[in-house]
Order: sequence, then structure tokens, then C-alpha cells
Amino acid sequence: MSKTIRLGTRLRYPITIVRLLKSPGEPIKKQEPLLEYSFKWMREIVDEIGGNTRQEEQTTTVTWDSPTDGELAQWHITEGQRIVADRPCMVVKEECSHAVQFGGLCAMCGKDMTEVNWAAETRDTARAPIHMVHDQTYLTVSEDQAQRTEEKLQRRLLQSRKLSLVVDLDQTIIQACIDPTVGEWQKDPTNPNYESVKEVKSFQLDDGPSDLARRCSYYIKMRPGLQDFLNRISQMYEMHVYTMGTRAYAQNVARVVDPQGKLFGNRVISRDENGNMFAKNLQRLFPVSTHMVVIIDDRSDVWPRNRPNLIKVSPYEFFKGIGDINSSFLPKRQDLLTSDATTNGLGKKARMKESGQKTEKIDAALKADVDMTGGDDPALTKLQLEEQERAFEKQIKDRPLQVLQEKLDKEDEEAEKATVQSEDGSESRSSSPPPQRHRVLQDDDTELQYLEKHLTYLHRTYYAEYDSNRASHATTGNVDLTSVPDVGRILEELKGKVLQGFKIVLSGVLPRGIDIYRSEIGLQIMSFGADLLPKIRNDVTHLVVNTSQPGREKLLEARRRPHIKIVSQEWLADCFSRWEAVDETPYLFTARLVGEEEPDNKPKDDAMIIDEGEDAEAENEMSNGKRNKGLKLKLVPASGQTRELKPVGEDDEDNSEDSDDSEIEEGLLPEDLPDGQVSPIDSLKTFNWDSADAELAEFLASGSSDEEDDDEDEDEDDDDDDGDYVNDGGEDQEDSSSSDDSRDRRARRSRSRSKTASPSSPSRKRKSYDDDEEAGAESADGDQTPAKRLRRMQSQRTSSLRNQYVAGEDEQQQGDNSGLPTPLGTDDADGKQQKEVNASPVPIEEGGEEDDDLDFDEAELEAEFEREFEREFDRVGAETEAEEHVLGEGNVGGEDTEKG
Amino acid sequence: MFFLHNLERRVTLHPSYFGRNMHELVTTKLVKDVEGTCAGDYYIIAVMDTFDVSEGRILPGSGLAEFTVGYRAVVWRPFKGEVIDAVTQTVNPHGFFAQAGPLRLFVSSHLMPDEIQYDASATPAQFTNNADIVIEQGTHVRVKIIGLRTEVGEMWAIGSINGDFLGCLQA
Repeated sequence: MSKTIRLGTRLRYPITIVRLLKSPGEPIKKQEPLLEYSFKWMREIVDEIGGNTRQEEQTTTVTWDSPTDGELAQWHITEGQRIVADRPCMVVKEECSHAVQFGGLCAMCGKDMTEVNWAAETRDTARAPIHMVHDQTYLTVSEDQAQRTEEKLQRRLLQSRKLSLVVDLDQTIIQACIDPTVGEWQKDPTNPNYESVKEVKSFQLDDGPSDLARRCSYYIKMRPGLQDFLNRISQMYEMHVYTMGTRAYAQNVARVVDPQGKLFGNRVISRDENGNMFAKNLQRLFPVSTHMVVIIDDRSDVWPRNRPNLIKVSPYEFFKGIGDINSSFLPKRQDLLTSDATTNGLGKKARMKESGQKTEKIDAALKADVDMTGGDDPALTKLQLEEQERAFEKQIKDRPLQVLQEKLDKEDEEAEKATVQSEDGSESRSSSPPPQRHRVLQDDDTELQYLEKHLTYLHRTYYAEYDSNRASHATTGNVDLTSVPDVGRILEELKGKVLQGFKIVLSGVLPRGIDIYRSEIGLQIMSFGADLLPKIRNDVTHLVVNTSQPGREKLLEARRRPHIKIVSQEWLADCFSRWEAVDETPYLFTARLVGEEEPDNKPKDDAMIIDEGEDAEAENEMSNGKRNKGLKLKLVPASGQTRELKPVGEDDEDNSEDSDDSEIEEGLLPEDLPDGQVSPIDSLKTFNWDSADAELAEFLASGSSDEEDDDEDEDEDDDDDDGDYVNDGGEDQEDSSSSDDSRDRRARRSRSRSKTASPSSPSRKRKSYDDDEEAGAESADGDQTPAKRLRRMQSQRTSSLRNQYVAGEDEQQQGDNSGLPTPLGTDDADGKQQKEVNASPVPIEEGGEEDDDLDFDEAELEAEFEREFEREFDRVGAETEAEEHVLGEGNVGGEDTEKG
Repeated sequence: MFFLHNLERRVTLHPSYFGRNMHELVTTKLVKDVEGTCAGDYYIIAVMDTFDVSEGRILPGSGLAEFTVGYRAVVWRPFKGEVIDAVTQTVNPHGFFAQAGPLRLFVSSHLMPDEIQYDASATPAQFTNNADIVIEQGTHVRVKIIGLRTEVGEMWAIGSINGDFLGCLQA
């Protein structure tokens, strides 16, 4: 146990060895001076008189202390030697190498390893950094010790002609669930699932993640044929359990699977000892060499470093929709190949429904975290523990199995009903005991048969190679560690022959945006010796499609090449599990896509054309709409294709901005009020602002004729656009502009809409009026704007006079344009209000119609009067008024035609 | 080694327990708090009696009453060099773990007689000299402590069965 000691990096090199204090053979103690050395350094000396500093070389002699205990065996340095850098200085025969440590203590000498010592550069705990014991994290060993231990292990294995087999629990050899329904079914022999769950074992844990989980039972279903499988395999392999469950869980399951402890012994490692929540690592158990270790696991992504040694098993799903109860720490699995759509669609669906949103959300977040932290983040761990707890509670509460069974029962009932009805309603049938109910739990897994075959094959091949190696080395003795072949390599060779020469393209199997060469499925395909190609080429042999959502483009392309076998993903899964190129015939994917042409009755050129036209659109559809819906798989005549694809494009063309706008407007504007109900703004809707404004302008005589003309010109340029004025006018106009806009839009809407506007609705009327106004009279529009400006200015100070005008115009317009009966309430209120404000001479008691007339007359008269009065001053205003009237006449006509 | 040890501890009591039998409650709480814990160098095995319960002092801010309790307890302190009996828990190629009451011991294969070797092929795995000595899970062993390390609430020990009268007790 001699150890070479270095001087260390902390010395002030270069140094000169002055004296060696100990001679070889002497015992040395930690922190005891062993040698003296000197070094030179510059000292800064301050000249007190001059005030300046200078450097002076100093030589200092110090001692070097021993970093360790033991006996000095040999010096590598001599007195007087000048040393410029860190180098080995002596060999010490140590009393103890501290190669095995337990909880900070050396397990060989009992010394405390956690003591930090100024003389030593490294801590003693660093001497034994390797965890290699299954059930402990406190026990660590040094590399030497690990190597020795492993060598012993290999010797033993070679002697008994065995290999090591690391076995995963969940979904590989068993499936666990905590749904209490299982327990109830076990007690109820009449239950259709009784036969299936009879064999299910259960136990309770006292270290569950929560109280709830502590009280619940874990139900363990062994994979069919597991006992025989393990017994036979244990002849060839020494088995270890490596699970992501807790320690207690792992031990209990091991007890269920292996009651005598013959198969696994205490070779059980769980996530508690793994040191990593997200990945398993063979180096945790076999730190030196994994040449003799095979793994069986249902997930390959948890073995990032040991992929060659892994035989991936198809996951065992007995309790439908439960999955792996201990997988909440792991990233979501990406490698589900067994098409759940057919074999256990029910389970898949249920699972998707239950855990879909939740896991997706959290997993995405977690995965990002995991990638960054790589593991030992306590906060993350806590989060995941909580997550698992939630999942547990959910399972206990929701009882997914019961739900599934009930669903099945219901289906059965319906089916039964149907049959009963079809059989002339023979009532006697229903009194007889009900026919066999379907059961949720089917125990029809055959994976272990194949697995045993593979493991046997692998074992045989391995020892054949070992024997031939040994023969060539011609060594004596019963074991030869140098000729141990690497089982990972052999496994890869064996697997690589399976699909050799196949060129496979995937379609719809992987989500978009995933690198196929790094995906689980892609890696697996390649590990079986097949070439994975991203696109259909002429030398492609197989197209693997996801039967529930095949990718359109590749499928069509492959159909054009008859030599490409289009198979469902089950084919791939079966090839993987059987290690042979399975006959494709039962897996051929023959369903036609919607809109796909029949290959027989269409000439090839034609197909090409269609494809070209289709590709872009099909691509689009796949990426947004169709993908979600899933392609309909049914036979559709070739003619159906155009119809299927067309509507999107046509819609876009047809519904130009108008319809779009109207669509938006529909949402923004309140619905038309039902008849009889009075809207507070009804009167405003029917109000003709333009004429009022014109009149107001006229009345106030603010606009000089020049200005008016200018405005007119401008407006003729951009007639609909009020924006200019808005910008000129300042903040106050902001709202009015928007109201104008909305009015325009409303107009447009009314135009685009089929003219079914009910004549009684004032708002409709208003719209159609606007419409016509815009269409017909540009000049009116031109006047409208400056007038509006005035109106806005006026609206701040409420002029009673103006109000009167407003009311007048309102009534006038109604009378004038439509000549229709307007809702009485509105008019009345309006009129009354106006009259009250204005103290108009008209009595309040008067009825609506008369009121109208009277108001109209009044307004008319007044307008006339003013026109006469101000004709000289304001010619333009008068013109406007006249136009207004003309317009009014026109409107009546227009509306009539509309109505008709 | 076991000791009777006079100890002192501050026990706090929630205001809802204030009343006539306060001192009993304090004692109960003390027993609940300290029995079976590892207090640095020793384990407190059992509280014998309390001989002095001080007057309660209300802690400002929380309203809890604090009592200083003097009590006598049986404590167990393992010493380096002490020989104790333990029960084997698990066996692995580097040695075996044994439990001596609350204390977990590790006995390395280096600290066993040379003839005792690890045998992995046995079920369960064992250390054996291929004769009378078999150390497997559940075996009672007599162990000499050669190293101890304590942390707050935790203690580790290294044992040795390399010596006279040490090792398997059933043999």
C-alpha cells in the first residue's frame, strides 16, 4: 500500500530543498515536518527618507509537512535540489489506503475521513469515490477496490458460465397499480375481471409519498409466464433489480416476484440509492466493466450511457391506462411503438384523457429543467415527488379501471340490447343470466417468450465467443479474464443482422420537428441494422406508417413505387420484439386516405399532376387542421378529392374583406334589439347628422365660403377617409372618427348582407340610408365633414336652439325618408324631451304622428326662414340644404327598391 | 456503554395546554421529544424521571411557555474499542452491515479473519469460512467498534470481527 506523494501546487516554486528531516524506513505522521526547503521572493522596502520603494530579494526557509500517515519508503528528491514545479517527492507506505469508506469513516482503519487537514491538498473522502453497493449510498470504495470486486464477480460468473442481467420492474416484468378497484374485483368472483386479477399480488408500503399512498395497496401483476421465465433465465444470468421506484417498493416487488429470494437476493437497487432521479446507469453497479452485463428495460431513454447493453422490451400494459406508476420523474416516453390504437386503444385513450394535459404541461417544463440541471436539484425533486403524489391520489380517486370497465359494460349492454331487439324481442333471453361480460383486463402478453429466446441466444453466442477466445489464448486455469468479450458488442451484432438491408422511412410515427436519427424509434431501427431515411427514395424498402394518422405526402409517394411495402408500426414493434424480419403481409397498410386516387384506374401522369397541385395544400393541412382531426380512412372515389381540398381556398377568395369585416362587426356591435324594446340610442341611429350639421354650420355662419370650398375639394379626393380631419381636429375628434368608421362599416355590412333588413328596425333603416348616401352623393359627404366639426364644437356647449334643430331634423328625416311607422315610444320620448328642453310651443299631450308632422313642419319652416334670411351671407350652406333635400328624396326611392 | 445521565432541556408548551396538569404535560412532551434520539455522542434510550421543572416563562411574541426541565435519562454511548452485539442486516462483497440497537455498523471484509470469504452464490449472500461460521442476513455477531463518527442526529461506526471471541455468535 505504498503511495507516491507529490509536493503540491501550493508551494512557491521554484524551491530549493535544504534538508531532508526523515530518512527512508522511518515512520511519519500527518502534519509532521518532513523536509526543509527555501524559496526566494521579492520584498518591498520603503525608503523612509526618499519616500520611494524598492524590491529586495529575500530567501526564506520553511518546512514541508506530511499530508499522510505511514512509513517513509523512499525519497524522490535530494538535498540541494532545485525544483521548479510540482512533482512527486516521496513514496510512503501507508497503514491504510482508506479504500472502503462508510459514512465518512474508513471501513478498514476506523479513522474519520472527513477531517480537513492543511497539509494535504485532497480530502481523504476523495479516495473512495465510487458507489457500487446496491442498497447503500453511504458505502463508497476506491477504484482499486472496485476493480478487485468486479474481477472477483467476473471470475465467479465465468466459472458458473453466467452473465449479469439487470432487470427493470415496472412494465418490464410486472405492472403495478394502486387503483382500489383491483382489490374489489379480487373479492368478487362474479366480476368479469376476476379471472384476470386473481393472480394479482398486493402489498402495502409504509413509506409512500403521502398518507393516501401509505394507506393504499399496491397491486402487482406479473407478466404472464414470469416465474418460469425467471427460473430458466436465472440458470444463465445473475439477476439484479434496478428500478425507479422507492427502496421499499422495490423490495416488496422483489418479494412478490421472488418469495424465496433465490433470484435476486439482495441485488436490488432503487431510485433511493441510484443518486439520479432521471437516468439509470450501469456504472452505478459495475463501475469498471460492463462487458458481462445485459439490461432488460421497457425504456431505453433512461439508459443514456448503456444503450449497447440494453434489450428493449415492449412495455407491459395489463392495467389499461395506468402506465408506470414510478415514471413521474422520468421524461415522457417518446417511443410508444405498439399501436395503442388497435391493441389497447381504450387504455390509451383513457390515459390520454387523464394524464394528457397534465403530464404534457409539467413534463415539458420539467424536461427543460432536467436537461439543464442534470439531476440533483432538490426543488425539482420535491416538485416531482408532489407530482407523483398527485398522480397517486388521482389514481385512487378516479379509479380509471373501474371507469373503463363501466364503459365496456355499457357498450356490452347496448350491444346486447341491439341483439335482443333483432331477435324479435324474445324476452326469455333477458331473464337468463347475462352473457359473458367483456373485461377490461386482458392478459395476453407474449413478450417474455421472445425475451427468453433472445437472452438464451445471446448467452450462447457470448460463451461461444469466450470459448473460442480462450482457445486462441491457450491459457491454463478455468477462467480467462483477458478473453472476456463485450456483451454490448455481441448484442449489437446480433441485433444488427435482424433488419439488415432494409431501408425504412417513417411517416406519422414521430412528431414533427424531431430529429429522426436521435429519436428512440430511430435509434432502435438503426440498432437493428436497418437504414433510416428521411424521405422516400427509390431504394427504400419499407414505409412505416402510423395507422391512426399517416403522413399523406410520404404515403402517396410510396404508393407510386410498388416495391415499397407500406406497413403499420406494429410490424416494426414485432420485428423489435421478435428479432426477426417479420412477414409484412398482415401488417400492410392498405387503407386509402381521403382524396387519394385509386392507383389502378388512374394513369400515372394524372396522379403526378394531382400530387403537385395537392402537395402544398396537403402539407398545410397536415400541419394545422387535418393533423388534429386525424385523417379519415375511408374509401373515397377519386372525384371526391377536389371537393375535399377545395373549400378552404374558395372560402378565402369569396369572403373578401367585406365579409371578414362583417364578421368582426357582428361580434363588436350589439345585436339588434327585439321589437318593442327601446334602445337609448335608437333615436340617434335614425338621426341624420349631416343635415343637422349643415344647418348648424349655416346657422352659426362660421365657415367662410373659401374654407368650405377647400374642404369640399379635399373630400372629393378621398371621400371615405375622415382620417385627415381627425388628425387636424385634435383629440376631441377621436371618438367621432371612430363612429364614422363604424358607420361606414355598418353600411358596408348592410350592403354585403342579403337585403333582408326588417323595415321596422330603425337601425337597419339608418344603415341603408348611409349606404345610399355614400354611394349616391359625394358632395353630401364633402359637406358632412366640416359640418361635423362644427357639431363637435357645439356639442360642448349645449345650445337649446341646436337641440331643437336636432330634434327637428330627426323627425324630418324619419318622415321624409322612410315614411314608415317608427316605434312610438322612441319618438314620443324624443319629442317630449326635446320639447321640454326647448319649451316648445307644442303641447306635450299630442300624439306621435301629429307630433311628427308638427315637428317636421316646424323644422322645415324654420329652415326655410333661415335660408331666406341668410341667403346673402352663406350661399354654400343653402346649397347644402338643398342637396340634403334632394338626397332625402333619393333615399326614399332607394329604400323602396331595397324593400322590394 | 450505558449511563445514567443528568440532562437539561427546554420544553415549550402551547398556551392551549396551560392549566392544572401542566407539569405532567411538560414531562410527556419531554419524553416524546428526546427518547430514542441521538444527541451527538450518545443515544438517549429512556427518560428515567424529571427532577426539576422550572416555572414556565412566556416567550414573547409566540405565547408559548418555556420550561427548563432537568431530567435523568439512560443514555448509550458507543466507544471506540467497545465490543457490542449486533444483528446482521445486509451483506455485500465489501462487508456487511449490522445493527446494534440504534447504531448502524459496517464490518469490512478487511476486518474479518482471512478465512472468512464472501460467497455470492449462496442465497442469501454470506460471509463464510466454509465451515462453522456463516454470516448472512439475520446472523447475530459480536463486533468490536474501531471507529466512530457523529453528526447531529446521526452516528456511524466501523466494526471488526478480527479478534478472539468476535464474530458469529451462533457458531
